[in-house]
Amino acid sequence: MNKRRSIQAKQGRAGWMFLAPATILIFIMSFWPMIQAFIISLKKGSSANMTWQEPLYHNYERILQDTTFKTAMGNTFLYLLVEVPIMLILAILLAQILNNRDLKFRGLFRTMVFMPCAVSLVSYALIFKSLFATQGLINSALMHLGLISENINWLGTTATARAVIIIGLIWRWTGYNMVFYLAGLQNIEYSVYEAAKIDGANGWKTFWSITVPLLKPTIVMTVIMSINGTLQLFDESVNLTNGGPANTTITMSHYIWNMSLGQGVAKFGYASALAFVVFIMVGILAFINMKVGDTRD
Amino acid sequence: MTKTKKNSSAIQRRLIPSYIFLIIVCFISVFPIYWMLTAATNTSYDVSQGRIVFGGYALENFKALLKAASDSSKASLARVMWNSFLYAGLQTIISIFICSLAGYGFELYHDKNKDRLFGVLLLAMMIPGVATLIPLFTMMSRLHLLSTAAAFFLPGIATPFMIMMFRQNSRNFPTDIMEAARLDGLSEFAIFFRMYMPVMRSTYAAAAVICFMNAWNAYMWPRAVMTDNRAMTMQMLVANLSNGYTVDYGLLMMGVLFCSIPTMLIFFILQKQFAEGITGAVK
Amino acid sequence: MKKKVVSLLLVSLLAMSSMAAMVSAEDAVELGGTSEDENTLTVAAWDANFNIPALEAAGEAFKAVNPDFNLEIQTVSGSSDVEQAITLAGSSGDYSQLPDIVLFQDHYIQKYVMDYPDAWQSLGDAEINWDDFGEEKLSYSTIDGEHYGVPVDNGTAIFAYRVDVLEEAGYTLDDVTGISWDEWLEIARNVKDKTGYALLSMDHSGDDLPYLFMQAEGQSQWADGQPNIADNETFKRIIEVIVQGANDGTIILANSWSDYTDQTIIGDQVAGVCNGNWIIPTIEQNEGASGKWEITTLPTLDGGEGYAANGGSSLYITGNCGKADLAKEFLAYTFGGGEGAMDTYDNALRNGGVITCCVSASESDVYQEGVAFFNDQPIYTAIVEMGTHVPVIEQNDYHYRMREYVGNAITNIINGADIDSEIANAQSQVEFEMEE
Repeated sequence: MNKRRSIQAKQGRAGWMFLAPATILIFIMSFWPMIQAFIISLKKGSSANMTWQEPLYHNYERILQDTTFKTAMGNTFLYLLVEVPIMLILAILLAQILNNRDLKFRGLFRTMVFMPCAVSLVSYALIFKSLFATQGLINSALMHLGLISENINWLGTTATARAVIIIGLIWRWTGYNMVFYLAGLQNIEYSVYEAAKIDGANGWKTFWSITVPLLKPTIVMTVIMSINGTLQLFDESVNLTNGGPANTTITMSHYIWNMSLGQGVAKFGYASALAFVVFIMVGILAFINMKVGDTRD
Repeated sequence: MTKTKKNSSAIQRRLIPSYIFLIIVCFISVFPIYWMLTAATNTSYDVSQGRIVFGGYALENFKALLKAASDSSKASLARVMWNSFLYAGLQTIISIFICSLAGYGFELYHDKNKDRLFGVLLLAMMIPGVATLIPLFTMMSRLHLLSTAAAFFLPGIATPFMIMMFRQNSRNFPTDIMEAARLDGLSEFAIFFRMYMPVMRSTYAAAAVICFMNAWNAYMWPRAVMTDNRAMTMQMLVANLSNGYTVDYGLLMMGVLFCSIPTMLIFFILQKQFAEGITGAVK
Repeated sequence: MKKKVVSLLLVSLLAMSSMAAMVSAEDAVELGGTSEDENTLTVAAWDANFNIPALEAAGEAFKAVNPDFNLEIQTVSGSSDVEQAITLAGSSGDYSQLPDIVLFQDHYIQKYVMDYPDAWQSLGDAEINWDDFGEEKLSYSTIDGEHYGVPVDNGTAIFAYRVDVLEEAGYTLDDVTGISWDEWLEIARNVKDKTGYALLSMDHSGDDLPYLFMQAEGQSQWADGQPNIADNETFKRIIEVIVQGANDGTIILANSWSDYTDQTIIGDQVAGVCNGNWIIPTIEQNEGASGKWEITTLPTLDGGEGYAANGGSSLYITGNCGKADLAKEFLAYTFGGGEGAMDTYDNALRNGGVITCCVSASESDVYQEGVAFFNDQPIYTAIVEMGTHVPVIEQNDYHYRMREYVGNAITNIINGADIDSEIANAQSQVEFEMEE
């Protein structure tokens, strides 16, 4: 009995040892800086000698009057609500199609769909910017096809600039999410589908009644990842449109960047307060998502 | 025989919409990459004029890239590539090791306290990168780590996402093996190294692909901490090419191409393990 | 097979990491912002086609008299990289990563000296004849009468026109010199009707036109450190000119820098370019238009020649430089108008198109030569001369934020918003950002 307990204790200690390196690193490299950022968010002044705000919560109070941040928040949520559903549904559909064993060239198709993920964020923004330039390839192609009579100013008009960002995001990330679904589907016994087929269920019905429920954990994970990624969206806004025209495509992270290091303003106190608000927003959304999709226990 | 043949051609016929859909999607996926490849072989003028077939200017663009790299890094393109490989490689190896340890610990030794700790760690995923940039930079500068590989990878090695991935995949690790190994007198760590790591190799492969891609593509953080040009990465070099009063597109796309080759190669080599490992099909 | 691939990969990764550890250990020793060698100066700068050749020219010139001297140039991707490095170093109080000398755009030095006084070294005792430089340029880098920066390029604005296009529409260069903006808009409409060319373009994602046009009037968007654009009649008239031109199609407001240069200028859409003279190499890229361009000054609201400046950067000695004497000697001898100045600036002009604002250096033969691309007009000496007329106006750290909000206002006005409320809105947004 005694011996057994000591073995358990030993195992428990070993368990904590396994966790220790990662836990310590996350505390030092994520939580500690975040606490420091919170302290900074209560301060004002130049970064070299900051002083306390009066009242302490003034930077947070200020956010309520910040029209640019409200615009940025609106933009970011627009991307979230439009892009994430389209991308994830497309990814599930593709995974479903590619999971069909009768399909030929599956490997080739899968590789091609995934390929955009191998292009770096800096690079793909540059590629999309060139393609959608006023004199760019997309416009000349549309002209040749006779679909438009004069060049569209894709990145200079609010609606199209937002569309380009959304298209870019879908292009870059659909394949990535598809791989997760595909792997999830491969864990589902193929016979389940065969059985459904014999029962006379059509493709659509199998999709909703078998695929989606079984993929639920994967879907929850990808939704959290996508929410997180979209709310922290930065590179696309900076490199594709630079937030323009007239800040109608700027994202929250981009605005925070402008307030801190981006344009020499160095308002670290205020920027940190904004960042904290974003942190809380992501946290709340992820929490809701996990509660809704919780399958464990 | 004839029946199955007929059957399979009927199946293929029913799959025609799927093929069409896939071909359209693949075209959209691949076309921008194809465009990048052609642009790398053309002059800047041709690129801006919308030329989309391969040209004969690849060598000149490559030479210009070599020159641009040596101008900005005081070394060579090879050095910049090596830097990127080095940092991304180190980050990948250390990260998958540390995160797999944690994922294993969280799943196979799990109790209430560890579950709570896991919930806390997940919060770190939601911290915006722009928020911690300044405090982390200050930390690196106090530790005199600026421009070293350590500054590059330290903030990126322990990520909640990686831990989560290993934790989920560890559910498929057969616990009876563990019990048997314990009875054989293997220590807890020996079990991890000798049993867990080999069994989970496709998870490791998948994690390595994701981690390497993230590290290779990192831009904002390296730009802040890699202050010495000899420590420059490929992403920084490409960003350098796209700034300045005039931009040479042929040269730029050659740089973009070099930036993308390694991540594509890694994916092609490991794609099978990647697909298997991502949700932990244990073989 | 699969096993083999994985194990091969793991082995190679391991090999790489052990090599990596060795390399990084070796690197750590020699890293840092300055060089151990007492004859070597490090400098951070950007743009391989512009600033870098200028610095190389200076390095060569100084080497001619100091054979041991070595200038180590660190290329970064833009002025913002240098600015970011300074901000980060300043916030952490650790300047050890800064090079001896840094180059950056002129708008920030006032703020930097105020926020991070230890990051800089005054040039007070350097042997530089400051009267040799344009007053406007020096006004940025002089703080309380103390000089901190040595100018490299000259930001003097030019207005370049395609004289062949003007001629086709019945105008000469004289007809567009010293005129009022209303006359200019009229001419622009005629040019557009007869030739299809617009007469001006600008990168609207960082729109410098309001700033340039205001400076040509001798006015600033700032007064006593606060935005001064609401209820500012001159500013409103300037905005009306830009909006009118945009609506007429005679001023093209491009979405991005690359659209501005590649599509509108090199892509042959405009017959006029107004910007800092560093835009000249871009104009020259459209080789088909060689010999057809000439330059002149800006129009003004009530007629008369307008002078302005945009961009341009200076070299600053950082607090991390332990060889301040050498650095000052180097800067004074080359960019500061010393004996090596002519060599430096001549080569900087030849190799990078960098034009000095040092008056004595512009007396060299290279500066007097006619430039074939500009119809043999001796544009360089003309630009240096123009630089001496640029009025000094109030500057502010929030220059780029102001530029952004004014640009947004212009976009909205073109789309039909009310001009007064948009300007008032821009003013209040800048004020909001400046508030602590």
